[in-house]
Amino acid sequence: MSSTPVVEGPRALAGPVRDRRRARRKAAWRRRALVLGLMSPWLVGFTVFFGYPLVSSAYLSLTHYDLLSPPRWVGLANYRFLFQQDQQVWPAVKNTLWLMAIAVPLQVMFAFGVALLLTRARRGVGFFRTVFYLPALAPPVAATLGFVYLLNPATGPVNVILGHLGIEGPLWFNSPTWSKPSLALLGMWGVGNLMIIFLAALIDVPRHLYESALIDGAGPLQRLRWVTLPTISPVILFAVVIGVIESLQYFTQAYVAASVATGQAASESAVNLGYPENSTLFYPVLLYSQGFRYFNMGYASAMAMLLLAVALTITLLILRSSRLWVFYQGAGRR
Amino acid sequence: MSPRRKKFLIAVADHSLLIAAAIMFLAPFVFIVLTSLMTNNQALSSKLWPDPFQWGNFAEVFHTAPIWRYALNTSIYAVLATIGVLVSSIPVAYALSRLRWRGRDAVFVLVLVAMMLPFQVTVVPVYVLFSKLHLVGSLWPLIIPNFLGDAFSIFLLRQFFMTIPEEYADAARVDGCGELRILVSVFLRLAKPAIAAVALFEFLFCFNDFFGPLLYTSEDPSNWTLSLGLAQFRTIYQVQWNLTMAATLLFMAPVIVLFFLAQRAFVEGVTLTGVKG
Amino acid sequence: MQRALAVLLVVVASVVSAGCMGDDSSDNSAAGTQTTDKTPVTITFWSPFTDREQGVINNGIARFEKAYPWIKVKSVGAITADKITAAIHAGNAPDVAAMFETDNLGAFCNSGAWTDLNDRIDADKLDMEQFPKTIRDYTAYGDKRCAMPLLADAYGFYYNKTLLQKAGITGSPKTVDELADYAKRLTQRNPDGSLKIVGFDPLLNWYENAPVHWGPMWGATWMKDGKSGLSKDPAWEEMLRWQKKLVDWYGYDKLVRWQAGAGDEFSPSNAFETGKVALILDGEYRTAFLKAEHPEVKYGTAPHPTSKPDLYGSGFVIGTIMGLPKGAKHAEAGWQLLKFMATDTDTLAEMSNGLHNVPSTIESQNSPKLTKDPLFATFLDIFKNEKSSTQPVLKIGSQNQTLFTSFIEKWQAGRVKDEDLHAGLENVDKQIDAALEQAGGEVP
Repeated sequence: MSSTPVVEGPRALAGPVRDRRRARRKAAWRRRALVLGLMSPWLVGFTVFFGYPLVSSAYLSLTHYDLLSPPRWVGLANYRFLFQQDQQVWPAVKNTLWLMAIAVPLQVMFAFGVALLLTRARRGVGFFRTVFYLPALAPPVAATLGFVYLLNPATGPVNVILGHLGIEGPLWFNSPTWSKPSLALLGMWGVGNLMIIFLAALIDVPRHLYESALIDGAGPLQRLRWVTLPTISPVILFAVVIGVIESLQYFTQAYVAASVATGQAASESAVNLGYPENSTLFYPVLLYSQGFRYFNMGYASAMAMLLLAVALTITLLILRSSRLWVFYQGAGRR
Repeated sequence: MSPRRKKFLIAVADHSLLIAAAIMFLAPFVFIVLTSLMTNNQALSSKLWPDPFQWGNFAEVFHTAPIWRYALNTSIYAVLATIGVLVSSIPVAYALSRLRWRGRDAVFVLVLVAMMLPFQVTVVPVYVLFSKLHLVGSLWPLIIPNFLGDAFSIFLLRQFFMTIPEEYADAARVDGCGELRILVSVFLRLAKPAIAAVALFEFLFCFNDFFGPLLYTSEDPSNWTLSLGLAQFRTIYQVQWNLTMAATLLFMAPVIVLFFLAQRAFVEGVTLTGVKG
Repeated sequence: MQRALAVLLVVVASVVSAGCMGDDSSDNSAAGTQTTDKTPVTITFWSPFTDREQGVINNGIARFEKAYPWIKVKSVGAITADKITAAIHAGNAPDVAAMFETDNLGAFCNSGAWTDLNDRIDADKLDMEQFPKTIRDYTAYGDKRCAMPLLADAYGFYYNKTLLQKAGITGSPKTVDELADYAKRLTQRNPDGSLKIVGFDPLLNWYENAPVHWGPMWGATWMKDGKSGLSKDPAWEEMLRWQKKLVDWYGYDKLVRWQAGAGDEFSPSNAFETGKVALILDGEYRTAFLKAEHPEVKYGTAPHPTSKPDLYGSGFVIGTIMGLPKGAKHAEAGWQLLKFMATDTDTLAEMSNGLHNVPSTIESQNSPKLTKDPLFATFLDIFKNEKSSTQPVLKIGSQNQTLFTSFIEKWQAGRVKDEDLHAGLENVDKQIDAALEQAGGEVP
């Protein structure tokens, strides 16, 4: 960067003072250059991969664009289609809301429950912790393939075992009622990361709180309600927040499960996204199919703008409430 | 009943819930392993135990698809991206945590926003950009952005740098070190666990990534990663279930091995994201 | 930090140079000139074929390379239509692309993703009358001709002779009522009530059970006056009601369960090939799969049953198509390959013998080199039948089928009441029309 000429101080100033000032200014410039240098990767990255795309998305959402011919201005047509005509949008939104309202809380509660169980174990904590954590390591594509096989309605081990118990298992990924619960099960299986976070938080709950509660005659449930939960509530909030953010981008599992569960060859796969009956058509899946299957990039951009509005609202809400956990945790760590 | 036996049974009863949960967590792995050893006909039947054990399935997988090619591509992606993230995010995190400058907090908020917004929001223009650069079809669109800072890693590292007491830096300053020297000699050393966690997460993210490769490399099978290749097993090639499960296991194996080698880094890293973050 | 900058610079440099190296100078100008330019060139050919089928195609390509020794062809298989679409839009197109999904042609032609071949056809005075009319129909969108046929497909019925004999049935059903009757008589259940052998699987979205393939059984039509006409042609309602009745007889859940264990369509565990289903609607290529994978199966082929007797003998006709993607680097050489693969009689006969696909020119259909196989001849007859029909070529590609199919999924699962069927179809029409409008609106 070019250095601006240092403004001359008043003549009256004695030489040494001026030199000191100059030195200080020089130091300040060097500091600024240093900051700029350190920040430069992010500055470039943020501009090219975030700032510019946002502006570009807003523009493209007002055009018809397929990458082959230049964007053609269509005004608000894409938004009209989005809000009034596209009957796939509402199922996609509903499915995504389902994830937030049902799958996320289930996962958080499950992770919490498993972590709680672990804190009570007297033996083999390390072993159990490893067992519970392992599924979280399975790559999503692999885990989903595994689950589609395990939950095959006819020959999958789960339904075979249920059959031996005299229960006719559900159709799982092949039923619109069960496909989302199946995905939720898959999510609960891979809950290891959350579980570790909860475990660390639970271990951190000060012992004396329990002891004083015990003196007050609190039972196990009361201790959970009045000591454990309040103490680790920031962690629960964190888990919910992460879960909600992840729901907004839920893609891989839905894509793989739908395309594999139909049992149809890839040539039919245009039909497969959302299988069965659009029950696994989540908002990102629909956006992908409009943008990168049909190359309705203008329309996909309009969908992206809607997603931006929703995500921004959620993010701002989180940021407002997060001063609790983002800024304080750093200072007050163990 | 002998007292030892009794003690054992009590321990089992005491942990019965845990044991039941552990069985449920392990069962999918067990069934995947069993299926990977079956014949195809058996995989399509309701029998659960392989008969006979068909160990050849694991070798067979390598004939159904260019697994080595996929593995190589995955490694290229994951290794380069991890290097990129470390090289670009550490300085940014340092500037955001240890240097005082105007607008720092505002920039940090921007980092948070970038971290929280779904990547689908920007995906269309970014794709257009890479297609104009004639890079779609290659691994570069997946790798390049990592050299320009990753919001999550910046956030994580920044949080960790904040916790390092100022005295260490001061001591180095007294010794006459410049800021860069302080970053390299003091912070990198003290922040090793956080850096290891960031590297681990980035590596795993790339190893598992499906959307990125699907978007950018799917039209060129010679650039497919393991995720993408495996997902096409059932749909394009209609590979039999037994082989698919064998491939699934092979795909999981490296991560699980990595986990046992670096268990501490894993657990510390995860804890870092949650509690300390 | 310095290292970071160095790496950054390298990355930036590689981006920039890659951007520059992308060669945009495709020789589109050569259109029409009788090519005498014999500079050696290598072109890329993408096709969806895998394994055995790709081998057959490669043999055809080898013949081309012999006839045009200066052109080398790099053949890449297992490329789906999605990938072709993505590559063209991202500017990475191959020189020639082939795909099964003829549905996409309208979208490709409309957007210019595949170039219009009319100029080249005129310049080379290529006689289009050598192709049967149905083929000319499904390779053009309006007056734009963006594709050449790469063999053709006809759909008919396969019946398992062993299973039919056991049930005392002598031949393939001729009417849809007969089909329903046979389907029930051929079905066998396990002691627990689950399905063991299915006479005929009436669930759509399974194997080749797609609305486009079923429509011709009822003579149903897709479009009316440029708009979607599913609710305007009563044949669709008739078809869906017939289908629902049979689904209910089996039990929807039972069929889904059975399908889940039935094996993959394009694998040796295909349900028809393994005797798990007695009657099936499929393309002529299945005869080749049966020969290669399960030569022991005793089966026959016939036209599919129809709702009206005068339709019998007809069927759904479609084919693999090839085109020159926009931005192809060696369009002229690509055109030569296209022309050769679409019209060379001996090559067509040979590929047809290998794939058991219908050869796509009238001359090759009568070629003496074509293996005489009565099982396959059925499909040649279906193809030549003048009531055989194909699907409309729309600018929204297969989106209309996607929308229709997702309605059918609800219908066959019993989540649409019988009295709401007509209204449901009207709604599908509305969605398709909206998509048509959204996809550009203007004239092609």
